[in-house]
Amino acid sequence: MELEHSFSVPVPAERAWDVLLDVERVAPCMPGATLDSVEGDSIAGRIKVKVGPISMTYAGTAKFTERDRDAGVVTLEASGKETRGAGTASASVRSQLTPEGDHTMVTVHTTLNVTGKPAQFGRGVMTEVGGKLIGIFANNLAAMLAAEPAAEAGISEEEELPGGNVVALSDTTSDEALPIDVLNLSSRAWSSLRQDGIQTLGDLTRRTDQQLLAIDGVGRASLADIKAKLADRGLALAAAEAPGPAEAPGLSETTAPVTPEAASAEEAVQPAEAGEPTADLNGAAASAAGRHAAAEAAADEDLAEVTPIRPARHETPPAAQVPVQREPSGWQPPDNDAIDLLDVAGLPVLKRAAPAAAALIAVLLVIFGLRRRRARRG
Amino acid sequence: MIPAKFDYVRPSSVGDAVSALAGGGEDAKVIAGGQSLMPLLRLRLAYPELLVDIGGLDELNGVTDGGDHLLIGARTTHYQVVHDPLIAEYCGLLAEATGTVADPAVRHRGTIGGSLAHADPAGDLPAVILALDATLIAVGPAGSREIRAGEFFVDYLTTALEPGEILTGIRVPKLGTDWGYRYEKFHRTAQAWAIVGVAALVRRSDGHVAEARVGLTNMGSVPIRAAAVETAAAGALASSETLREAASGAAEGTQPPADLHGAPDYRRHLARVLTGRALEAAAGV
Repeated sequence: MELEHSFSVPVPAERAWDVLLDVERVAPCMPGATLDSVEGDSIAGRIKVKVGPISMTYAGTAKFTERDRDAGVVTLEASGKETRGAGTASASVRSQLTPEGDHTMVTVHTTLNVTGKPAQFGRGVMTEVGGKLIGIFANNLAAMLAAEPAAEAGISEEEELPGGNVVALSDTTSDEALPIDVLNLSSRAWSSLRQDGIQTLGDLTRRTDQQLLAIDGVGRASLADIKAKLADRGLALAAAEAPGPAEAPGLSETTAPVTPEAASAEEAVQPAEAGEPTADLNGAAASAAGRHAAAEAAADEDLAEVTPIRPARHETPPAAQVPVQREPSGWQPPDNDAIDLLDVAGLPVLKRAAPAAAALIAVLLVIFGLRRRRARRG
Repeated sequence: MIPAKFDYVRPSSVGDAVSALAGGGEDAKVIAGGQSLMPLLRLRLAYPELLVDIGGLDELNGVTDGGDHLLIGARTTHYQVVHDPLIAEYCGLLAEATGTVADPAVRHRGTIGGSLAHADPAGDLPAVILALDATLIAVGPAGSREIRAGEFFVDYLTTALEPGEILTGIRVPKLGTDWGYRYEKFHRTAQAWAIVGVAALVRRSDGHVAEARVGLTNMGSVPIRAAAVETAAAGALASSETLREAASGAAEGTQPPADLHGAPDYRRHLARVLTGRALEAAAGV
């Protein structure tokens, strides 16, 4: 399946290029993706795809196969295997940057292949879903690149800043500018938030619990999910007393008067929830948590620390660790699957062969004897 | 294949079911007839931690007359729907479409609620309840709420139901005798999914179409109403030519899937042809 997405970002090609090659920033744009390790050009990670009751996790590797800065072309080849099945997925993502004044046109061409049960099931739906995922990825990438100048300008050059944003800038700015897609929320919660005009994490953090609950389609479960995922990124919803200055007008009538006790209760709950996502690492999406874990892992290159959360790692780990890592997961085919026959059947074969061998030796002796006799005579 | 391990509870009231489901979190699933979920479990495409079986909840079973509407319990089986006298009288379209769902074995176990909550875009019932302007009733930890059919289907296999919510019933407005209906389903074998399905409702008066409603199956990731057709057909003369003309806009705004059974263009063509046939049959021309 071939997919083509293109979008324009308000940054020069040079800057877009740097972002595009920064895996740790690009990866979170893919819904459900988690980085396990980044070593030079090769990236190990997982992606969890959830479609209604169906959920699949693919683990695999990706590699930059083409990086032509002058032509503005970067190609990423990724392939993965289902962690709980035999299916595979592979994608070749070729991004082309074309400068257009101070904007950059980004064209993403993707070739996607999905095999195995998920591909057979549901009448070709996996490719549709894959296409959708890549569409979201392209959108997130566009949003992230668009947020780029504000974030960087905040630190270096102030003149590029759109007015009013200065106050909001802090070390979490880049996260706040990210689209809510990176939270990997349920599609129901996601669309409800979008309908309410919440586009970025920043928009989200300016709302209070009550404001979010007032949105049709956001329930207690979604709220808890949102808070946990925000906490992962060191963000939190607004405290109940202070409705967001910019986004509030549409909501003011839904913001019921909040008693101080309720507000402090909410605050008390938050730290507790902040602890939850770490437990998520084993299975649930937790792309954000994974990102932090992966970043740390990549930093100190201590693979052993990451392995417990990678039950089905198929790329070869450093040689010294091989035996330890392969053992636990039940039966594994040995490296050389040819059986040494003598080991297994040597003795029985020898027993059966013994009489025949003895007979052969006897015959040879007789012949030998006869020849000597003849030789003596002659 | 044998499904992966899961816990199983069979509550005896909706309240118990809701609390069991809410306790199970995101990985808990409701099972009723199991005709869609069991294949997913057995193919190991879904790995729920907990199944909440609502098969024992008799309060969710059967059809009741609610005055201007019918209330259909979520675990009413397809077989019951096909043979129910109230449904036959007030919304025959539902009975007709349900009669085309899979095969008799599936219809005896599968439920209307399960079929809707599964939200398979190739399933027949979602497009039908969309055309019927039905309302779905969901019960969750926060209480009961109603969701209009048009807002219920969010994406492929995804509904507006929150984790922890159970679909308990469907409220279908009664249709008068001036309404005609037809479900046109195109499939290669009798028990197969629809490649394209069209649910049409037409109210006639004085030889004209007073109102038309068309729901399309498998023309996108969610069932959709063919708005262009509905507008074109409203007020038109009830004749073959005008209805076929109106049906020519059936594929507008659709994004049909591509698979072994047909390319998007083929499906768009099917949608136009089937919509024409369905409208003609529903208008009785």
